[in-house]
Amino acid sequence: MKYFYGQTIPAIEQITEIWLTWRKQKLPLYLFLAMCFNVAIAPIVYAATNEQLSRTQAWALGLLGLVTVGLSIYLFFVMFVPEKF
Amino acid sequence: MGFIAESSSSPRPPRLPHGTRDSRKHTPKPDMRGLYQRAIKESFVKLHPRTAVKNPVMFVVWVGTIVTFLMTLNPNLFGTIQADVNQQRLLNGLITLILFFTVLFANFAEAVAEGRGKAQADSLRATRSDTIARKILPDGSITEISSTQLRRGDLVKVIAGDTIPADGEVIEGIGSVDESAITGESAPVLKQPGTDIASSVTGGTRLLSDELKIRITADPGQGFIDRMIALVEGAERTKTPNEIALTVLLAVLTQVFLIVVATIPPFADYIAKFISTIYGAEAGNSLRAGASVAILISLLVALIPTTIGGLLSAIGIAGMDRVAQFNVIATSGRAVEACGDINTLVLDKTGTITLGNRMADEFIPVNGHSLEEVARISLIASLFDDTPEGRSIVKLAQKLGVSADIDIDKAEGVEFSAKTRMSGTNLPNGKQVRKGAVDAIKGFVRSRGGRIPPELDAAYERVSRLGGTPLAVCENDDIYGVIYLKDIVKPGLRERFDQLRRMGVRTIMLTGDNRITAAVIAQEAGVDDFIAEATPEDKIEVIRSEQSQGKLVAMTGDGTNDAPALAQANVGLAMNSGTQAAKEAANMVDLDSDPTKLIDLVTIGKQLLITRGALTTFSIANDIAKYFAIIPTIFAAAGIGALNIMGLKSAQSAILSALIYNALIIPALIPLALKGVKFLPLSADQLLRRNILIFGVGGVIAPFIAIKLIDIVLPLS
Repeated sequence: MKYFYGQTIPAIEQITEIWLTWRKQKLPLYLFLAMCFNVAIAPIVYAATNEQLSRTQAWALGLLGLVTVGLSIYLFFVMFVPEKF
Repeated sequence: MGFIAESSSSPRPPRLPHGTRDSRKHTPKPDMRGLYQRAIKESFVKLHPRTAVKNPVMFVVWVGTIVTFLMTLNPNLFGTIQADVNQQRLLNGLITLILFFTVLFANFAEAVAEGRGKAQADSLRATRSDTIARKILPDGSITEISSTQLRRGDLVKVIAGDTIPADGEVIEGIGSVDESAITGESAPVLKQPGTDIASSVTGGTRLLSDELKIRITADPGQGFIDRMIALVEGAERTKTPNEIALTVLLAVLTQVFLIVVATIPPFADYIAKFISTIYGAEAGNSLRAGASVAILISLLVALIPTTIGGLLSAIGIAGMDRVAQFNVIATSGRAVEACGDINTLVLDKTGTITLGNRMADEFIPVNGHSLEEVARISLIASLFDDTPEGRSIVKLAQKLGVSADIDIDKAEGVEFSAKTRMSGTNLPNGKQVRKGAVDAIKGFVRSRGGRIPPELDAAYERVSRLGGTPLAVCENDDIYGVIYLKDIVKPGLRERFDQLRRMGVRTIMLTGDNRITAAVIAQEAGVDDFIAEATPEDKIEVIRSEQSQGKLVAMTGDGTNDAPALAQANVGLAMNSGTQAAKEAANMVDLDSDPTKLIDLVTIGKQLLITRGALTTFSIANDIAKYFAIIPTIFAAAGIGALNIMGLKSAQSAILSALIYNALIIPALIPLALKGVKFLPLSADQLLRRNILIFGVGGVIAPFIAIKLIDIVLPLS
């Protein structure tokens, strides 16, 4: 048990620290989340284009789609809470 | 038969408070050195995403810049292009550069406006610096502390030569204060306790004579100058309702164009397949190239309202700045903007519409008394009256060669009060001499069993019809006559009220005078309505009644009894010479204490709103030309090449020309955004027609010419 705690607690601390850093630096966090989400989207883009695009291009296009949707959500946010901008 | 003072026909122009508006020195001029260097640096700092995200239109451009930059590094990032890769990289690079400068120019516009505001704040800050204050402790002893340690309610002693450490109210002593640091007015102002007007002092001003005991009325950083500093610096700048509405409109337009542009590729691909079967693969590929990501981003940036998006905050900051330059301290941007929407102006007669000092012009004898007798009784009644009116009565009587012939040391002065509405002198022989409102004197005489002579009402009416204030004079139960106090309407006011009427602003004059006098002055000044024999309660009543009809009301005030009305009005302008209560209730304070400035504030507010509207119209009107520049050239293969009415050389040239115009128009309009559109006193309909013609039609035509010229100059085929 001692060994188990000895290894696990620093790991949790490290994860917490990384999480807190991410919470402070929002942009890298959003980029990371977009990349994660793109793991699901890029294959769909790749499959939909009949192999006309390379894997990198499909990945980039997936990200571009996410950025566009993100911008659209951001603009809706501006419309509903304009006093924050 | 009365005596007409000859001096009244003097050719000298009437004196305005603190001299003419043009000759007045305002708060220390802001130091604008290094403004543009700082603004350039600041425009790069504002590229930080946290700041950029605050401006939705420019944030979309910023994201577009990053995407086109990635496409410059790898032109095949989002799909393999058919054209020469190096040529495509060059085009993407140029697009990136232009978009980057578009964002930079918008940041620059905001930074210049903020820089001017900061310089203004620095000049305001220079009026108050940390000083040593003599704080009076509860046991009566005095300790010296820094002015920043003073709190609301503290008592301080200020002696001649000292700088007053904070805003406060005089509770003991009389002294003259030099307020030139904040008002620019070099003549010292007498400060004394108890009086409604002269008891309030401002931190940063200097006591020239004697000593004062002052109760501090504001915590450090909470004085009204501190609030103004925070506002012009932008630290506490919150969006005004008009700005919020415009932000929503810009976000909606951006959203619509984002959806339109993002959905172009599937349609383009569908049409390309169709065209390929008819005109061959090359035509189809050309159409697909037109829908490439870099070109779509260019189209999006050209269509979204970047001009107004880039200049919006600069216009707001510049509006605040203009108010500060006018020596008016506004406690919120909302108040400045509200000035532009004002429907009704409630103005005091004395000091605002007429020159503050009414002068005795004539003595009218009644009841069989001679002119000399009326003049003598009037002189005796005014011996202890220190008001300008009282002094002018003494002067007029002395001019007639009359003397009081009483032992002044044994006589007793009776001060004017709002309740009795008269003042006068109690003589050593027990006689009571009074002067005051005709009704009040009638009551006084009746209470002593006296008779009201029939000529009194005739004299009263005569003076009233001349627009003057009639004061009756009596000795015990005997009415001697009427003093004609002449009111002089400030020069140029009639024209200004005419201007306001054309702009749809109604003016209401409030006066304590009788109905006939009020009507004459109202007609002479050209106000729309008046309320005679008004009490302070009438002010708040008239404001409430106007507001209940959905109107926005502005008013000026300086006394404690004006405070509720100042708080009730949509725009309350307090005089700096007024009481602390009035200044705290109002949302603007005029450092020059000139009530007519309210009219200028309405102009500034309207100018702010018109500038915002004009640039929004211009920005949206620009879209037509940009649309005609880009769409027909990039989709020429689809058979819409004929719509290229400007005859632009190529798709690349059309895109770059439209984007260059889009970027350059922002710095080109910065001076207009900061200075404001020239304001003309026209009706709302006339203004709308004029601005639609200049900024609407001009906004359609100007980019057609500019884009064509840029296309000619660009070395692209």
